[in-house]
Amino acid sequence: MSKAKAQQPAVIHKVIMVGSGGVGKSALTLQFMYDEFIEDYEPTKADSYRKKVVLDGEEVQIDILDTAGQEDYAAIRDNYFRSGEGFLCVFSIKEQESFQATQDFREQILRVKNDENIPFLLVGNMADLAEQRQVSEDEALKRAQEWKVNYVETSAKTRANVDKVFYDLMREIRSRKMEASRQSNGKQKKKRDTKKMKCVVL
Amino acid sequence: MADGLARVLAKPTFDPESFIAKLSGEGEDALLDMKAKVHMLSDETAQALKKNVYKNYSQFIETAREISILEGEMIQLSHFLSDQKSLMSFMMEMPLVSDRAMVQGIKGEDEEKESPEEETRRNLAFLLEKVEGCSSVADVPGRQLVHDGDLVELDAESHAQLQRVHAFLLNDSLMIATWIPNRRGPMRYRFQGLYELDSLAVVNVRDTGPVKNGFKILMFPESHMYQTDTAKAKRQWLDALEDTKKKKAVKDKQKKEAAMRLAEQQLQAALASPGEGDLSKSFTEDMEEEPVAMDRDFLSADWLQELPEDLDMYIAQRNFEGAVDLVEKVNEYLTSCPNGPALKEFRARIEHRVKQLTDGLMNELQVSPERSLRGGPRAARRAVTQLIRLGKSAQACKLFLRNRSAIIKYNIRQLKFEGATTLYIRCLCGVFFSSLSETSKEFIKAFPGHYGCFSAFVIWAKQELQAFVSIFRRQVFESKASLTTIADSVLLSKNHCMELNAIGLDIEFCLANMLDISIQQVIEETRDQLVDGINYRANDDLWRPQNHLTQTDCDKYVKEIAASGFDIKPFVIEKCFIAITMNSIQFAKSVVLFAEDLLKLFTTELEEFIAEAIATVYRAQVKHIEDSLKNESLSKEYSIILKNAQFLLETVMGKIETLYLAQDLALPQQLQQINAHHRKLRAMVRK
Repeated sequence: MSKAKAQQPAVIHKVIMVGSGGVGKSALTLQFMYDEFIEDYEPTKADSYRKKVVLDGEEVQIDILDTAGQEDYAAIRDNYFRSGEGFLCVFSIKEQESFQATQDFREQILRVKNDENIPFLLVGNMADLAEQRQVSEDEALKRAQEWKVNYVETSAKTRANVDKVFYDLMREIRSRKMEASRQSNGKQKKKRDTKKMKCVVL
Repeated sequence: MADGLARVLAKPTFDPESFIAKLSGEGEDALLDMKAKVHMLSDETAQALKKNVYKNYSQFIETAREISILEGEMIQLSHFLSDQKSLMSFMMEMPLVSDRAMVQGIKGEDEEKESPEEETRRNLAFLLEKVEGCSSVADVPGRQLVHDGDLVELDAESHAQLQRVHAFLLNDSLMIATWIPNRRGPMRYRFQGLYELDSLAVVNVRDTGPVKNGFKILMFPESHMYQTDTAKAKRQWLDALEDTKKKKAVKDKQKKEAAMRLAEQQLQAALASPGEGDLSKSFTEDMEEEPVAMDRDFLSADWLQELPEDLDMYIAQRNFEGAVDLVEKVNEYLTSCPNGPALKEFRARIEHRVKQLTDGLMNELQVSPERSLRGGPRAARRAVTQLIRLGKSAQACKLFLRNRSAIIKYNIRQLKFEGATTLYIRCLCGVFFSSLSETSKEFIKAFPGHYGCFSAFVIWAKQELQAFVSIFRRQVFESKASLTTIADSVLLSKNHCMELNAIGLDIEFCLANMLDISIQQVIEETRDQLVDGINYRANDDLWRPQNHLTQTDCDKYVKEIAASGFDIKPFVIEKCFIAITMNSIQFAKSVVLFAEDLLKLFTTELEEFIAEAIATVYRAQVKHIEDSLKNESLSKEYSIILKNAQFLLETVMGKIETLYLAQDLALPQQLQQINAHHRKLRAMVRK
């Protein structure tokens, strides 16, 4: 087991797929993971995938948590969200309701992560079915700007932009992590001091 | 020679025709010779045949014997095997929980419906067995084990193996226990955490990369990753988790609705009458947690840790003394232990064992047809003593006495009724009363100081006595035995009762009570028979003195009568005549026998009755004398009649009086009055 550990790159980026049921979270994930499109729809419970990828010349691991669109318990959904470092918030461009639901997901994620700048991508899936479009690009873009996030339209079927959304998100996560480590490096001494203080107090 | 011939005849190429042709050519002598030889040969062959048959036969017998021995061994073997099997199943029941739980998990629902309570308790008791520090988990009522299994915990980040755990999915939560290496006994896991299903997120980890069959449990702030051995096991886990979560959600919803309704009602009630809140309740709950660390230290002693196991072993070995010793020791130890959840848990484990132990002991005392009863009370005492030590004296007492009852019953049934009632009764009394006294002695030894049990014993003794009396009555009274036999039997049992007095058990009055009515009846019957007999004989009594013809015969007769207790010498007339009539002698004999028997049956309660019975018989005879005196046709015999009267009223009555005196009793009023008759009779004659 330690061998396996040694082989694995240290960096793991944790991505969480959120969105209403049936918008294609699993389809996107599977397309990214295995380059295949799955037509049959079977509701996901919660699946996690891990894959080694090369991100800008650096080997990293991506850990994808494909959540259930129809999880009943808010408390359990919170638990999923807590484990994520970046979120792909997926809706179906041919389903207005799923677009509306992104609002709730966004709010919940912000509440759980307590971070306005959490790596986040708004993803409009099923771009190949443009003729059934219910959500206009403008509408989606407007919301993305509101949230200060990027909006990408994908097609799990044609693989359009599939890699892009995952890589874009990983880059965001990476830059966030680097920022954080820089900050904590600066803070570390202080932190230790406060810790010591605490000990004394205790 | 014969051998040679036999060889020739036995040859496969033997040709009888050429042999005969050759033989016949050799003349008469040779032929005769040959005939003799053939005869001899046939004789020898017959002999050999006989021998062979015998040999065969003996071999056959030997084989049969071997077979029967083999059969016996096979039976023994099968017994051994069945013993082994029961032992195995017993052992299976003890520590191997998970297998059963798995089976149950698969069978699932129907069993749940059958006896959910029972199963729950058993399952959670198993938890206590296997996992250290989980008493609080097992305490929750209605909690059940749904699924459990061994898992490997992985590091959520690196997927490196961390440790072995055993997970228990309960119907409302998931309990994780870590495996403790190098630990003997059933306690192989330490409680790690209990997670409510409500907030527990399950993630199926797809088999990408090197890790197969993984799944994650997210429970904020922790997240754990576990690995199962097989894909099937993982599927089971995920399904079980999903299923249980759903069931719980449904149940919670119902509960919530019920709670809402209740709250509404309470609200209405509260509006009607303002009362105190639940303040006190929450207060007490807060108080409990503190002394955990203390009692855990207390319980970490080596022997305590191994105690449950040792107990199991002792119970399995039927070393009940050892087990009880241990229980006592631990109880003593625990009383000085500070209270806390760990103690509670430990207690629960011990109690579980104690229950097993008690069951074992009770089983030991149980009367079952296949168990031999020959062990006697001493064998039972062993189990009884242990039960008392466990504080189960009431059960012990009950079982002990039941056991004894069975033994007495068995022993009585072993007795064979062979002709003589008295003999049988003697045996019966011997068996019954010796058992009774044995039991009481044992009881005193086995239950020293448990005075509550003694009343149970007394009641038991009375019941047994009742059973005895019913047998007694059947054998003695209903078999139309003679009064003498009955009196002997009653006397016998009374004497035995007296012996019991020596050990402080007085049941004689009970016996007398139970027999009273039967005795009275039998006395009445006998009395009536006697009176009838007297009246019958009175009809043709001619008051003739007995003529024995010669003096020697007369002397002989006098001696004979003297042997039965009457001195009739003074009544001898002219050497060979005796003034006492045959009838009087007969009456004297029967009335004295009657009195003898009645006095054997004497009790203060029956005193009056007995006296009256004897008096009645006597009166019948006296009346006969009176009638005879009045009878003119018998006027010549007056002197003889008077002599007889004198004999009956003085000698015989004197004899009865001595019988009374022998028992330190005065001659009762009724009989004295009869005695007074004598004078009256004389007066009559003078007239």
